[in-house]
Amino acid sequence: MTQNNRERLRQAQAAAAKQQRLTRAVGVGAAVLAVLIIGVVIAVLFQNQGKSATAGSVTPPHATSDGRAIEVYPGKAKAGAPVVELFFDYQCPVCKQFEGLYGGLMNTLASSGEIDLRYRTMTFLDQNLSNDASVRAGIAATCADVAGSYGAFHNEIFANQPAQEGAGYEDTLLRDTIPATVGISGDALTSFQACYDKQSTKAFVNTSNELGTQDLLAISKSVGTPTIHANGKAVSLSDVGAVQPTDPDAAAKLLQVFQKAAGA
Amino acid sequence: MPRYTDAVPASVTAVPARRPWQEWVTLAARLVLGGVLLVAGLLKVTQLDASVQSVRLYQLLPWEVTAAVGAALPIVEIIVGLLLITGTFTRLSAVAGSLLMLAFIIGIASVWARGISIDCGCFGGGGEVEASQTQYPAEIARDLGLLLAGAWTVWRPRSPFAVDGWLFAAPAPSDDPVPTNEDDKEPTR
Repeated sequence: MTQNNRERLRQAQAAAAKQQRLTRAVGVGAAVLAVLIIGVVIAVLFQNQGKSATAGSVTPPHATSDGRAIEVYPGKAKAGAPVVELFFDYQCPVCKQFEGLYGGLMNTLASSGEIDLRYRTMTFLDQNLSNDASVRAGIAATCADVAGSYGAFHNEIFANQPAQEGAGYEDTLLRDTIPATVGISGDALTSFQACYDKQSTKAFVNTSNELGTQDLLAISKSVGTPTIHANGKAVSLSDVGAVQPTDPDAAAKLLQVFQKAAGA
Repeated sequence: MPRYTDAVPASVTAVPARRPWQEWVTLAARLVLGGVLLVAGLLKVTQLDASVQSVRLYQLLPWEVTAAVGAALPIVEIIVGLLLITGTFTRLSAVAGSLLMLAFIIGIASVWARGISIDCGCFGGGGEVEASQTQYPAEIARDLGLLLAGAWTVWRPRSPFAVDGWLFAAPAPSDDPVPTNEDDKEPTR
């Protein structure tokens, strides 16, 4: 083989190798990029689904028009009564404690129209506890709003909160036991169970959690429950805690706490 | 690439292939970084809502952006993790992995500085925790270690058992007396 031939051969080989490397790199690179783009698009779309109301979804009849909260005593509030929003998660043990101590007083104030009580359903504990009990309990309570039993249903969920945080709520409890306790029966029970089984209010519950997170971060600077806002301003839980629930004037004192926070 | 017959340190003479010890460090570094990314991504990808919520609790990004970032992050982690584990586009993947670690470190340092009490949500979960239960120093130390592994791999991307070895393979041996063990050349050098 002459020097010239060998040189030519070497150049041809080098060119072929370069071409092969290029083809492989472009091919594998394009494949990786395609998987990346498809994966991200699917993830974003998947995460987005169930956030907007779809066919068959139900908005609780006593939800506020902005989808943030549910009116516990619709139409009862007197003019100028502070809007009191309670942020809670059905799996939060401190929320259960709070309900036990102050739930009755809040309901007294709301039923007499002194405050405009609104419940704001949060479900972030599902993520901490790796279950879906907060969302399911939220769906059950909002389905009960269709039957007109929201407040009572809400109280019963907390009354039946498992002692062990994270144990979650059984479907039979939410679907059969509590409805019976709060007096949902007949056709109302059938449509309640259909609502729960089809998770018809799931979009509302998810939106409630999203908007709740947004408002908690904006006003209270952290996402925790229970949290109370009065007219969109944070209510100090230690001010609430200073009110003895057994005090004969407890309801009036609690109202003062709300009014002070709302005016502050 | 020179052959390593004399310069190999005594500690690695047991290694069968004639590779400098740095390549084995790179192998370990990319497996550790890639493995952690892959696991973190897999744990989060089944709970995208939780991932979005975790991103939100950092309170760093605009609300609308958090949904996209929270959903895309696990996918990106899985893919970069797989690329690093298989040694595909090693240097580029290591740059991506290092940037992710840098972003995580900045995020954790930022919530720490602002006095926000959250779990980093690095491996799923996340959420608010008691101020006494935050683990910011440990989380930052871990991510710094992983950033170091990434930076090493960016610096020395060549390693054994890498797809890059096939991807950027030199031509088959010819009648030329040119050394033919350049089977793992990185194109970016």
